[in-house]
Amino acid sequence: MSCKRFLTVLPLIALLLLVGVGSSQAVYRQQCPPDTDGVDTDGDGIVDNDNICVQIGGGDGYAVMGDGRHLYTFGFSAFGGPYTPGDVVSGTAPDPADAGNMWSDATNPGLVLGANFPAPTMHFRQGQKVFLTLHNVGMLIRPDLFDPHTVHYHGFPNVASVFDGLPDSAIAINMGSSMTYFYNLVEPGTYMYHCHVEATEHMQMGMLGNFYVDPIQDNGPPITVNGKTYNKFAYNDIDGETSYDVMMPLQIHSFDPVFHTEDETVQPLSFSTMRDVYPMFNGRGYPDTVNELTPAANPGDPDLILNKEGHFAQGMPSLIKATSGDRVLLRLSSLSTTEHFTVISPSIPMKVVGNGAQIMRTNGDPTGTDLFYMTNSIRLGGGEATDVILDTTGVAPGTYFVYSRNLEQLSNNQEDFGGMMTEIIIQ
Amino acid sequence: MHRPTRTNWSRLLLVAGLLLLWVAGTAQAKVTGISGTFFDFTAKTDHISTGEGNSLLIYGYSIAGSRAQYPGPTLIVNQGDTITIRLTNNLPVSTSIIFPGHKAVASGGTAGILTREAAPGGVVTYSFVADQPGTYLYQSGTNPALQMNMGLVGAIIVRPTGFDPAAPTAYGDASTAYDYEVLFLQTDMDSTYNELVEFGRSAEINLNDFHATYWFLNGRNGPDTLLPDNVSWLPTQPYNCLPRIHPGDKILIRWVGASRDAHPLHTHGNNFRLIAKDGRLLSSGSGNGADLAVSDYTQTVNPGETYEGIFTWTGAAMDWDMYGHTAADNITLTDLVNNETGAAGPDGFDDNTYEYVADHEKPMPVTLPGIQELTFSPFYSGSPYLGGGAFLPPGEGGFNQHGGYYYMWHSHNEKELTNNNIFPGGMLTFMIVEPPGVAIQ
Repeated sequence: MSCKRFLTVLPLIALLLLVGVGSSQAVYRQQCPPDTDGVDTDGDGIVDNDNICVQIGGGDGYAVMGDGRHLYTFGFSAFGGPYTPGDVVSGTAPDPADAGNMWSDATNPGLVLGANFPAPTMHFRQGQKVFLTLHNVGMLIRPDLFDPHTVHYHGFPNVASVFDGLPDSAIAINMGSSMTYFYNLVEPGTYMYHCHVEATEHMQMGMLGNFYVDPIQDNGPPITVNGKTYNKFAYNDIDGETSYDVMMPLQIHSFDPVFHTEDETVQPLSFSTMRDVYPMFNGRGYPDTVNELTPAANPGDPDLILNKEGHFAQGMPSLIKATSGDRVLLRLSSLSTTEHFTVISPSIPMKVVGNGAQIMRTNGDPTGTDLFYMTNSIRLGGGEATDVILDTTGVAPGTYFVYSRNLEQLSNNQEDFGGMMTEIIIQ
Repeated sequence: MHRPTRTNWSRLLLVAGLLLLWVAGTAQAKVTGISGTFFDFTAKTDHISTGEGNSLLIYGYSIAGSRAQYPGPTLIVNQGDTITIRLTNNLPVSTSIIFPGHKAVASGGTAGILTREAAPGGVVTYSFVADQPGTYLYQSGTNPALQMNMGLVGAIIVRPTGFDPAAPTAYGDASTAYDYEVLFLQTDMDSTYNELVEFGRSAEINLNDFHATYWFLNGRNGPDTLLPDNVSWLPTQPYNCLPRIHPGDKILIRWVGASRDAHPLHTHGNNFRLIAKDGRLLSSGSGNGADLAVSDYTQTVNPGETYEGIFTWTGAAMDWDMYGHTAADNITLTDLVNNETGAAGPDGFDDNTYEYVADHEKPMPVTLPGIQELTFSPFYSGSPYLGGGAFLPPGEGGFNQHGGYYYMWHSHNEKELTNNNIFPGGMLTFMIVEPPGVAIQ
């Protein structure tokens, strides 16, 4: 625009500012249009159920480490219902009433100081169209921080920058407002999600979660593998090589308590000296990883994992239960902000069937050459994901372990015999 | 947001953005470097500037009397050529060069542990046959734990036999064809080493005690990675790292692990196809192409490794028209040929713009928040549409000349997105998808 032309519109701009153009009053709202295209895109035979609406909050809270220490966190919270272990937020029915109750709904821990760690698990099906609304509820402990938040759907193919959740390239939602992200799920696989605002800080502080998409093959005819019929697969594979009976997402997390304390106490942040001493699976250090107590089933139990606000903020145990002969799919991913971790399954070999949300075949093509391989160890840096299948055929009943082979990481800070470890119970 | 340990993106990127506007159209389509079969290196001391404004002593290689540079010159050579490098040592310590992946022969100088060395003031000559195409590393072979940290590293690109610049491939095979290429030479630096060397206290350096404080791509910290090649105020850091493509273009990424730690590089925007490791095609055998290539969204590059991947981005299947076209625009798409192979028959994409035909004229399914509810990137055009633009509040946006889509390509060990405790910076840059028709040279 030339200078002269700009001058001619200047009074107009001033007028618009005076009358409050745009939304001068921020509001929480979600967008959840009905599915009216008349096409069944997710393969379940129903034409009007492909739109899925999910709401999460972005704010702060507390998480309790394996040694009992409470750390201040930033995090995403489930919205529109309490968050319980194993709960996935896929298909949450939209409740318009929620928007008005953000600050007063006592039954909903996803609000003030309601950050979950990890974030609510996102679980969808290929062919679904997801409307993910992020409400930025602000940070109660750090009211001086008016940080925006985003959702970065890590690995989403051919994303438009406006829905990539990268504040450094597009937009981020301010405190007191909502943004709805739209994803047309055309690729199944294991992804992850996190806030990308001031990524080093917001990720170290805990805005991290599992995200996976079932293949459309799950809605197709079952496939028989080794005499057993399957309708659950990690990827569209045609031959059932990625079929499974039991699935567990295992996301690597690690916290540096010094950094969390600095954030809580309004101190300059130590990025260079960041050193994580709380290694975790799914937001918990062993033995909390195998603690399946819930507020609903075990109210008042002293072993229930509650944070200092009394919230059940870390609702995701990593205990894997299978029957001998089952195929167990582990969706391994890492959102550590500091280092690589090597996860081993010393007793039950792992078959690598996926990597970076693509099947391990030539170019990720279901019809490509098999590039599967057997291993006992998977090394992951931040932002990497690998899918492995553990075939428990012939494995005797008992308890088996999956843990970080970086042995110093088998601790909850000063407390030994903890950290990044979980159990597989074979019955 | 506004705390003393952080830098404001807008301020930090003001200069970078203005330069982007200035150089758009001259950004890198191929890797910058020097070609030939004989290279006359001089190792000497100089200084680099870091992203947050610090100045550090380095050891670097120089060519033809120029200043030392970080990293060393990228050598672009042809498969089959015999390459000779003469190293004159103007450093106060002995030094040498090794060429992992190549059978180098050294002459002159004095005997060393890994190869022959040049004493201060001395000369040593290395030669090797570049017998395999691919991406390689060269580095100091003398006390490398210190000298690599000080800057004595560089990349070698070997073009395949029969290389055609008009139709380039990485390995002479159609499965490795690309339109553009970019180097991601990754280094990290514990600035304590550089400071102790500069203060004459080298004896106090403990090489077992390495804690990087800076992370670099092609010798620059973010956001300096976005600046053009050879900007005058970074005289010892000539290389940028700013890949740009159009929808449907293929870009070859050449990762080089010249670092001391492993770094997982994440490509926002899409997966890449990993086609080679350490200068060897991921292939089951001659003539089979890159048939062992896997698709991934993050690549860990361990110290000493190189990888090559081919990345493309089309915007396919967004389920909305990424150009914001409506029926009123009256734009008709043409899909008569396969854009990739040139064969007759539709491939789902417009033959000229690579627009995804099925999403043409589909409206965006959600409404974006109002401008007062958002925080903007300087690289946001104001519009969610590729090639679009819209009015933004004063002081916002402005650094996206063509309405391109910007994607961060960065280390996902996010601690490394800092420059000596200042966020943002470190091992990050952007890849830009420009609208069709924007010149990328």
